[in-house]
Amino acid sequence: MAGLELLSDQGYRLDGRKAPELRKVQARMSVFAQADGSAYLEQGNTKALAVVYGPHETRGSRSKSLHDRAVINCQYSMATFSTAERKRRPHGDRKSSEMSLHLKQTFEAAVLTQLYPRSQIDIYVKILQADGGNYSACVNAATLALVDAGIPMRDYVCACTAGFVEETPLADLCHVEESGGGTSLSLALLPRSGNIALLQMDARLHQDHLDTLIEAAMTACKGLSKVLDSVVRQHLKEVSVLTRD
Amino acid sequence: MLKSKTFVKKTRSGGVLKIVREHYLRDDIWCGSEVCKECKDEAPVLQADACIESTLCVSPHYLIPDTNVVLHQIDILEDPLIKNVIILQTVLQEVRHRSATVYKRIKDVVHDKEKHFYTFTNEHHRYTFIEREPGESANDRNDRAIRVAAKWYSDHLVKETWGRPLKVVLLTNDRANKEMAEEHGLLVYKCDEYIKSLIGNPELVDRLALTSDDQNDITGSKLLFSEHLPLSRIQAGIKNGVLLQGTFHANRDNYLEGTVLIQQDEKDVTEVLLQGLQNINRAVNQDVVAVELFPKECWVAPLSVVLQDDGPNDEDAEEDEAQNKYLQILTSKSIVRKPTGQVVGIIKRNWRPFCGMLSPSQIKEATRHLFTPADRRIPRIRIETRQAATLVGQKIMVAIDGWPKSSRYPNGHFVRSLGTAGDKETETEVLLLEHDVPHQPFSQAVLSFLPKMPWNITEEDMKVRVDLRHLCVCSVDPPGCTDIDDALHSRELENGNIEVGVHIADVSHFIRPGNALDEEAAKRGTTVYLCGKRIDMVPELLSSNLCSLRSNVERLAFSCIWEMNHNAEVLNIRFTKSVINSKASLTYAEAQMRIDDTNINDDITKSLRCLNKLAKILKGQRTEKGALTLSSPEVRFHIDSETHDPIDLQTKELMETNSMVEEFMLLANISVAQKIYDEFSECAVLRKHPSPPPSSYDILFKAAKSRNLVILTDSAKALADSLNNATIESFPYFNTLLRILATRCMMQAVYFCSGMDSDFHHYGLASPIYTHFTSPIRRYADIIVHRLLAVAINADTTYPDLMDKHKQAALCNNLNYRHKMAQYAQRASVAFHTQLFFRNKGIINEEGFILFVRKNAIIILIPKFGLEGTVFFENKDKPSPDHSFDSEGPTLTVEKHTFHMFDKVKVTISLDASNIQHQRIRMALIEPVIPGVSVAVGESEPEAKKPKLDR
Amino acid sequence: MAAEMRLPAVHKFISLPTTSQSQDDKQLVVPGEVITSDTGFMRGHGTYMDEDRLTASVAGEVERVNKLICVKPLKTRFNGEVGDVIVGRVTEVQQKRWKVESNSRLDSVLLLSSVNLPGGELRRRSAEDELAMRDYLQEGDLISAEVQSIFSDGALSLHTRSLKYGKLGQGVLVQVSPSLVKRQKTHFHNLLCGASIILGNNGYVWLYPTPDQQDEEAGGYFTSLEPVSLSDREVISRLRNCLLALSAHKVLLYDTSVLYCYESSLSHQIKDILKPEVMEEIVLETRQRLIEHEC
Repeated sequence: MAGLELLSDQGYRLDGRKAPELRKVQARMSVFAQADGSAYLEQGNTKALAVVYGPHETRGSRSKSLHDRAVINCQYSMATFSTAERKRRPHGDRKSSEMSLHLKQTFEAAVLTQLYPRSQIDIYVKILQADGGNYSACVNAATLALVDAGIPMRDYVCACTAGFVEETPLADLCHVEESGGGTSLSLALLPRSGNIALLQMDARLHQDHLDTLIEAAMTACKGLSKVLDSVVRQHLKEVSVLTRD
Repeated sequence: MLKSKTFVKKTRSGGVLKIVREHYLRDDIWCGSEVCKECKDEAPVLQADACIESTLCVSPHYLIPDTNVVLHQIDILEDPLIKNVIILQTVLQEVRHRSATVYKRIKDVVHDKEKHFYTFTNEHHRYTFIEREPGESANDRNDRAIRVAAKWYSDHLVKETWGRPLKVVLLTNDRANKEMAEEHGLLVYKCDEYIKSLIGNPELVDRLALTSDDQNDITGSKLLFSEHLPLSRIQAGIKNGVLLQGTFHANRDNYLEGTVLIQQDEKDVTEVLLQGLQNINRAVNQDVVAVELFPKECWVAPLSVVLQDDGPNDEDAEEDEAQNKYLQILTSKSIVRKPTGQVVGIIKRNWRPFCGMLSPSQIKEATRHLFTPADRRIPRIRIETRQAATLVGQKIMVAIDGWPKSSRYPNGHFVRSLGTAGDKETETEVLLLEHDVPHQPFSQAVLSFLPKMPWNITEEDMKVRVDLRHLCVCSVDPPGCTDIDDALHSRELENGNIEVGVHIADVSHFIRPGNALDEEAAKRGTTVYLCGKRIDMVPELLSSNLCSLRSNVERLAFSCIWEMNHNAEVLNIRFTKSVINSKASLTYAEAQMRIDDTNINDDITKSLRCLNKLAKILKGQRTEKGALTLSSPEVRFHIDSETHDPIDLQTKELMETNSMVEEFMLLANISVAQKIYDEFSECAVLRKHPSPPPSSYDILFKAAKSRNLVILTDSAKALADSLNNATIESFPYFNTLLRILATRCMMQAVYFCSGMDSDFHHYGLASPIYTHFTSPIRRYADIIVHRLLAVAINADTTYPDLMDKHKQAALCNNLNYRHKMAQYAQRASVAFHTQLFFRNKGIINEEGFILFVRKNAIIILIPKFGLEGTVFFENKDKPSPDHSFDSEGPTLTVEKHTFHMFDKVKVTISLDASNIQHQRIRMALIEPVIPGVSVAVGESEPEAKKPKLDR
Repeated sequence: MAAEMRLPAVHKFISLPTTSQSQDDKQLVVPGEVITSDTGFMRGHGTYMDEDRLTASVAGEVERVNKLICVKPLKTRFNGEVGDVIVGRVTEVQQKRWKVESNSRLDSVLLLSSVNLPGGELRRRSAEDELAMRDYLQEGDLISAEVQSIFSDGALSLHTRSLKYGKLGQGVLVQVSPSLVKRQKTHFHNLLCGASIILGNNGYVWLYPTPDQQDEEAGGYFTSLEPVSLSDREVISRLRNCLLALSAHKVLLYDTSVLYCYESSLSHQIKDILKPEVMEEIVLETRQRLIEHEC
């Protein structure tokens, strides 16, 4: 029998979670002073740092700026020490560029960019440790950073992965599950409205399963939004107490 | 609810890799006991009243076996007597790691509701998780984890049961572990001492596997084999190329010889020869082993001698003698040397329970006996039983427990008895078991998915199907066939063309994907036809009734309809689900008769004639392309209707109608294959027949050369043509013999998933693409093809597994395996019935042909019975006649008479029942007369010929 | 020289005795949270209409002014209003205008027509003036200015038509969050401790030695390059660190708070002020004094 048993008969996954359970999520906002907004987020062993600058005057070529809304510029990178084998280049490879593009699309759906014509918002995210669900950790961290920067958004953007093992959808895959078991779907959700900001899946999946998988990912995203919400509120409370007068 | 705990694992793969994984500890894992009120388990598995009556532990108790107990005593755990067992996750993981088969079995046991086995996820439990301490080995850590879990259980249960204490018994065979557990105040027993204390079933003791502790007293101190290398060294050796990994295949005919097939890359397979027991070093057939190659000068050629391990019961000097003699032969010069080596370690055992018979010890009251497996490739196994007296003469099942290096034979234990040897039921059971054919009656779960009777074609069915009831459809099958899955029709169209239809039973209508019925059918893969018995793939209601296209009833079909011109060129193809009403179910003979009888001119006959005409054209076209016509002797038994014993034996006759039906089936299969491949290039299930490697034709060359004929094998076409031309006027059977030989050169045709392979060619049929579509009642592959085709014509919807090429590939592997096994089982059944037949017949003298020439024997084919047998020229006790072997011919010269391939000989055939386990057909030479070798005509005492058998 | 190393410390939450009372009157919202579904309100900054519900788009406090509902985020870029004093840096010289980076979402514009040219008198700007623009202000120069108007896209138009404004000379720039700068009548202060401060509304604070004569004739385009005395530099450095300490603890910046902080820091060396524990101590003392002062 090759490979690992991703889901035991008793319904436990390799790390002891049940199928719909998320990993432990911890986050902090405002970790950097010099940036407009920043956040650090751990989703299990996946650790991401997000920094937001802007909105500010469009840098570089003027032609990029849009007359009716702000441009969102994302850069995704992975620390060289983030994976089991040391990475050569932290960013700029195909996978990172694709991820950057996905992040950009995700946040264009959520940020009220039309409030800032001709401006630019920079979102930089870095994966410090990769253990599956890099995209979702990035989205969640970047959401917190945007909130921290005071950039108006329709809603939080929460992202989570879901996989499909033995006819059971698993939420929030870790690296072993991602690499070991077929399909993995990433979903970014605006939890209050239930709108999907981004849905991405590379492997093949039969369409009969798609609904259950999306359903599972959405539930996971909603669970995540509760966690993010409490982080933001906690941060709000702390800071507003200080600036009370 | 979640407690997070991160721990670090280090593995070495190339460099040092630090792997960090999360490990969550939970406080919501319940103990699974009915008595427990603390745990909020909804459906507790373990009974409150757990009563296994044991003299050691009187009060009710739960058992916790450790890993080794599960691995070795799985037979005991499977016994219905053993209930209320807690399987720890640690144990389950270790078992999974060490043996896939035991893992499968223990999982089945856990799923069995009656057994009350509970899996406790102790590794994720808040209180039973432990970390590996510095300096502690992984095994020690697991043992400790088991003890901690057992301790937790006993404390936990004490809390809950005030009145009647419910105890937990840890079963282990490890002395150190036992002592340590006792220190913690646990109730621990050794497995055998516990089993012996059971009041319920004393026979369980026999099934106890011998464990390493007991091995010392059972064998002498003499070390027969060299030690196996530890796994770490094997892996290192394989990595740096000193050792090779491969699967061991014992030689069927020679117990001192075996080969290891080494898969070097995708296609390349090398064979390493192993000779002598020391070099085989306790490898059992199908084990994955590590081999070390000898230096080139020590390489030898395989011997084409036939040797069987018939040594007496005890450890013996004679054995060594035989081997010495054998090795002497080895040192003699050999022409083609092959890579030779020795086994230095076992990577994975592939032991399963073996069927066979007990060879009782000569000492009365002895409890240790040798067991001789039915499969000759498996060595004899030493078992311990007190029931030897009752087991003699019975077929029994035995599992191997281990093979210590000081023992000539592996040690094993008795699993169950199958019945009296020689009994038809028992023998059938044995051959089904040996060939891993699932043959249990269909379970209730499976039957529940059958359509409710009385079944009728509904309005909805009619709406989505084409009504073809008006067509003059008929079926042509062998006599006595009840599972009719194909029917044909043809008619002339107004435009002068001919419409030909092949109608296949619509099994996929009844078997819906994913249900228990479907899963069972997928598991069985094929219907197995034995002599006088059929093991159905789908329940009888479907196979012989609802799906079977019987005459004059309305049946659902999947039709493939061509429009052809009179040159049999296909102008148009149409696939559709339909409803048909067959007008006649004919046998081949009946159909042939109708075609031939010019007086009959009804619709059916006209249709048949037309089909026959087209079939001939089609066949011509196919042969033109290079399709092979091969031959293998097939026999049919006339079975006595009362006793079910075979009373006559005849080879199958082939008629024009056989080939007529075959042609249209081929056409349908090819058309469907093309259609589903066009539609689903990634996940179509197809069938291919790879062209054989040129070297496999050697024997065919030599055989033809011996008659001054040339066989070309450059292409299938060349082969087919040269086979057609290779005839000898005076020797009409020669061509058939050549074809039989050519068949043996062929590769096996296999199912595969189109997304996983690139070579689709079917060599034998000379078709670029092929699949199986026409027999869904008896082959599962056809059901899948039906489903694919149904989707392709929008008659049905897909389902996930159908589109998953990996799952399809796995399915194909299973189907290939089942098909192979079904074939073997079929052959074994024929062989058994042949024996029965000769048992009744007595001694018969018959003509035959030499099929192969071996170093010390010739293999003879009797065309009349389609029977093959071996005539030996060598045996241990008698000075063998002077013989010399020439591998070029190949020829064998015995006492100045030279045997060539295809020589005509006369033999006497009788049943050798001296060895009840391997009853066999014995052949002795009558003609040509060679003094000291051949026997006189009609001699009924050929014992002198084979003295070694009547021991 | 020994460098001091610190491990990250646990983030401490400073609770002040008065927190619980003032907490109640503030409504904290997060993005996507519905503030009210009553249609009678007007939508202000930091909100959007999601169907008929007034929804927050940023995290912060809700501010109600009659019918207008705004959400004020904790931290944001500078949203300029007419009359705000800003400190900014010239990033570009264009035709008839300078572009000034002012921590707002678009660079601000300083038109050539909105500056006082040397000579002071109002006159038409000639082509010569355009060519000489770089002589007055070039890229990288810091200026102080006032918001004159706001363009439709949100960019600010500045002017320096007062002698207070203009190019900045020697001094230190401190960047803080714009929300920490308290709006006051004047943002130019000559602090008692011997230095001057410009508290730009955009969060840029300029510290410089108090000039000798107020009425320099250069119109703000002359920079003195005379060396600044050590004592002045020390005062400025201390002020800078005090500003950072205050901003780290989110204390509003205005002349009194800066001065109090300066005074409470006197017991420490300048370089020690940025140590977290010292910072905490100083800020606590400052707050205490501010509360006393208010009462």
